[in-house]
Amino acid sequence: MLQIMIQGRGGQGAQTAGDLLAMAFFAAGRQVQAFSSYGGARRGTPVNSYIRVDDRPIRVRCDIDSADAILCFDASLLEGSLLATARADTPIVVNSSRTAADFGRTLPGYRVIPVDGIAISRRNGLGRIVNSALLGAFARALEAPALDVMVRTLNEQAPKLHDENVAACREGYRCIDVQLAGAKNE
Amino acid sequence: MNARAELTARECATAPDRPLLMTGNHALAWAARLARPKVVPVYPITPQTPVMEKLTEFQSEGRFDAEIITPESEHSVMAACIPASLAGVRVFTATASQGLLLMHELLHYASGARAPIVMANINRTVASPWAFWPDQTDSLSQRDTGWIQFYSESAQESLDTTIQAFRIAEQVLLPAMISHDAFYVSHALEPVQVPAQEQVDRFLPAYAPAHRLDTGKIESWGNVVTQDMYYRHRQDIEAAMARVPALADDVDREWAQLTGRSHGGALERYRCDGANLVIVTMGSMCGTVREAVDALRDAGQAVGLLKVRLFRPLPVQTLRAALAGVAEVLVLDRNHSPGVGGVLHQELRAALYGIKNAPRVHGYLAGVGGVNVSPENIAGFVRCAQASEPRAESVWAR
Repeated sequence: MLQIMIQGRGGQGAQTAGDLLAMAFFAAGRQVQAFSSYGGARRGTPVNSYIRVDDRPIRVRCDIDSADAILCFDASLLEGSLLATARADTPIVVNSSRTAADFGRTLPGYRVIPVDGIAISRRNGLGRIVNSALLGAFARALEAPALDVMVRTLNEQAPKLHDENVAACREGYRCIDVQLAGAKNE
Repeated sequence: MNARAELTARECATAPDRPLLMTGNHALAWAARLARPKVVPVYPITPQTPVMEKLTEFQSEGRFDAEIITPESEHSVMAACIPASLAGVRVFTATASQGLLLMHELLHYASGARAPIVMANINRTVASPWAFWPDQTDSLSQRDTGWIQFYSESAQESLDTTIQAFRIAEQVLLPAMISHDAFYVSHALEPVQVPAQEQVDRFLPAYAPAHRLDTGKIESWGNVVTQDMYYRHRQDIEAAMARVPALADDVDREWAQLTGRSHGGALERYRCDGANLVIVTMGSMCGTVREAVDALRDAGQAVGLLKVRLFRPLPVQTLRAALAGVAEVLVLDRNHSPGVGGVLHQELRAALYGIKNAPRVHGYLAGVGGVNVSPENIAGFVRCAQASEPRAESVWAR
């Protein structure tokens, strides 16, 4: 079973991102479970979204203690409770303009993969709405779901600005593709 | 229209033979839509609100032909449900936590009036302090109100059980409540098989009670009665309740013939054969217990799960039969009754009292207030129970 944690702040779209990711895995033929929990249902407070993906029906109903992958909407959340769910090999895709080398220095022992979601979203006419860019980046880091399935899901589910969301998703994907290829060559 | 609303709009056009992704709350709304109630009084409350949102959306799309009434409080919601039901139409509502508690007075009234209302409740902590976590104290504290109570583990089970509950409630003329846990079920997106309307219509005929409020017919309801009339009325309610466990089994069997899905009737036994320790619990924790049971069985330990789907009436005879001869029973309660401990623990001890080969009953308060309970936690509880003498009172465990 693949267990994924998404954390953001209320209003950033972590819950929607979790649902979209689950829809994409489901469209790819996998069994999924996605749920969110939030303390105060308020803007700005941490929101966790949990996604489980498996080949058989998912029965377990509890929080994820040990994540196989993490998507973090806000680098200020990369601390205590969220990092406690990460293992040394857990890819942590984080929405940040800082570099991987920079995170390597401040958070040694973690596999942090930054993507500047805001810059990508702004370039694609989405302002500060970073879901699509981050989901593209995350799909590349996880090597699943396939980019075309992720793009199709966003295209189907986006309430508006379909082309912009698809373009942001593809750019997020490419961004991590280049970063990981670069890391391999070093 | 949000993403989920769009998804459902498209779903309507597709054949219902493949599962759809939806939350537990939207599964409840689908069940209500398929059951074709005529009146739905409802008041929003976290984490129930998506049920109400989805029903109003169905209605605005012309797919839900019910009168949706939105009074100023849950007390008024139930006050609207009762006369609507007595007028002879099918009634559905949904609530959670504080909303359910505000209905309390009228919950008694509904069962006394023999109004077969079906209500979904999302199990959420009760104040104070304020919180939104899964905890079953809200509905368990309504156990004496004369409502049939089901607890569900998944979105699919919530959909199926809601439709089954209408059949049962309308046969015995008692209201029924289906509860599922906040977030773990209410807000969990998962695959759900939506039955075809004609399947549900075949299973659930139109509600046509022998007696109803009708200005053209002289009958009296809710009158002042003598002691003897009151006494006999309570006996009638008890007799109706007594029919429910067998009906829950029958209706679930019939549903399985129609849809291929059974949820076990009043109780579900999961890997209980030859078990020397059986875990007893309700709601979403059952899914997590299944994982723990499988892991313990793989490690050579004879452990099983007895899932209580029907809590009111408590299926005492079936419980006694299922647990006689089992060495150890471990009850996991995601609720807290101050001064008593776990409600299911204490009810189970009473149900098993006096049987031959009575098990040793351990009661753990696990997951109270939404505290996380993982399969590993459950394996730890099992080790702890096996190594200790059972206590009369419930034990805090995490």
